[in-house]
Amino acid sequence: MDLIDRYAHEVGQYLPHRLRADVEAELRSLLTDSVEEKALLGGVPADEGLAAQILREFGTPKDVAARYAPEPQYLIGPRLYPTYRAALRIMVPILAAVVLMLVMIGQFRHAGEPPSVAPFIRATGSFLSTLIFNVGLMTLIFALVERTTQRREAAGAVFDPARLPPVNDPDKISYIGRIFGLYAIAALVLLFNFFPDWVAVFAFHGRERSVYPLLEPAFSRYLPLLNTGWALAFALNLVVLRHGRWRRTTRWAELALEVFNAVVLLVIVTGPPVFHYDRWVKLILQVFLAVSVIKACVLLYRLFVRRPAEPWARA
Amino acid sequence: MVMGGTQLTPRDNLSLELRRGALVLAVLVELRHEEYGYSLKKLLSDKGLEIDEGTLYPLLRRLESQGLLESAWRVEDARPRRYYQASAQGEKLAKELAAEWRKLAGVMGKLIG
Repeated sequence: MDLIDRYAHEVGQYLPHRLRADVEAELRSLLTDSVEEKALLGGVPADEGLAAQILREFGTPKDVAARYAPEPQYLIGPRLYPTYRAALRIMVPILAAVVLMLVMIGQFRHAGEPPSVAPFIRATGSFLSTLIFNVGLMTLIFALVERTTQRREAAGAVFDPARLPPVNDPDKISYIGRIFGLYAIAALVLLFNFFPDWVAVFAFHGRERSVYPLLEPAFSRYLPLLNTGWALAFALNLVVLRHGRWRRTTRWAELALEVFNAVVLLVIVTGPPVFHYDRWVKLILQVFLAVSVIKACVLLYRLFVRRPAEPWARA
Repeated sequence: MVMGGTQLTPRDNLSLELRRGALVLAVLVELRHEEYGYSLKKLLSDKGLEIDEGTLYPLLRRLESQGLLESAWRVEDARPRRYYQASAQGEKLAKELAAEWRKLAGVMGKLIG
């Protein structure tokens, strides 16, 4: 029956590929049985009109498929969705403020000239493209977190209330902070690997805008080291999100990563010139290096002096 | 909740919830013998348990994916049909659920009066 074939096919469109053919075949068989049985009982012909009536009772293809689907499939599930909304609520006004600031700088530069709507139209365009790119990146990060951080308790695992973390847990993590960390790492990887010209100083002279890229081509020799550090930091963030809090193992990994970052910075700072304005950029990197060393010392102090002995802190 | 394009009332939802567990037990008990989807629906209906086809058929697959049912395609009357039967695990569970059901029915009977 054409209507039943179309219906079964439509249900299949909402199902995972591996289930599709089997469910469609079963639905065809079941619905045909149903039509024939009802025709026999009611003494009416088993035609498309009767099929339509049965299909109406059966439900819309989308509803039926939802009942067949093994479990709900989400890009970002209900567990993470509130955090996703909160992240966007933080990110969107910041992007809007940055674009607005750039427009105001532009207006300031053109003070005394007749007012024009062109800068606002350009600003709206650049705001929209920036917004789409950043929301897309943030969504991808959340989708990745959704897929990698779902934890299911092992069957038969015994819940031990003594291992509940204290109210003021020093190892508590900020989910949104960790996710913004992932987003920042992804943005850095994209920037340094695919848009190195955007790592630049922008200067305005009247109507003209000058761009002074900071990276020399020779900088690319450090990219494998930097990418390794970013990949490790990305993985660590995901593991910490999966655990839901810091553990001793991840604290040690954080320390190792901080030492690695400090070494990479040291290699760049003491290496041959790879930046335009090499002296100035390296001065800034020396500050980063100092911060990195201090952070490593603090982490080491926490690991040894504030050695967790409480049951909740067991890794 | 929307089902089959119709908005369910809170009463419908509660009633569905109440029936859900009972349906699993009913299906497992009836499938001690092999049946195909429509024949099972008829069997349940003849015994007074009306069940919506859109609920029953997905339930059969879910129970199969949990290892409680086994199924096989067979051609009968020039039409392929999928036959279901409770697995050993399904039969064992049916016995356990039936015992629990009797106990619960007794308690509920006393509570409701």
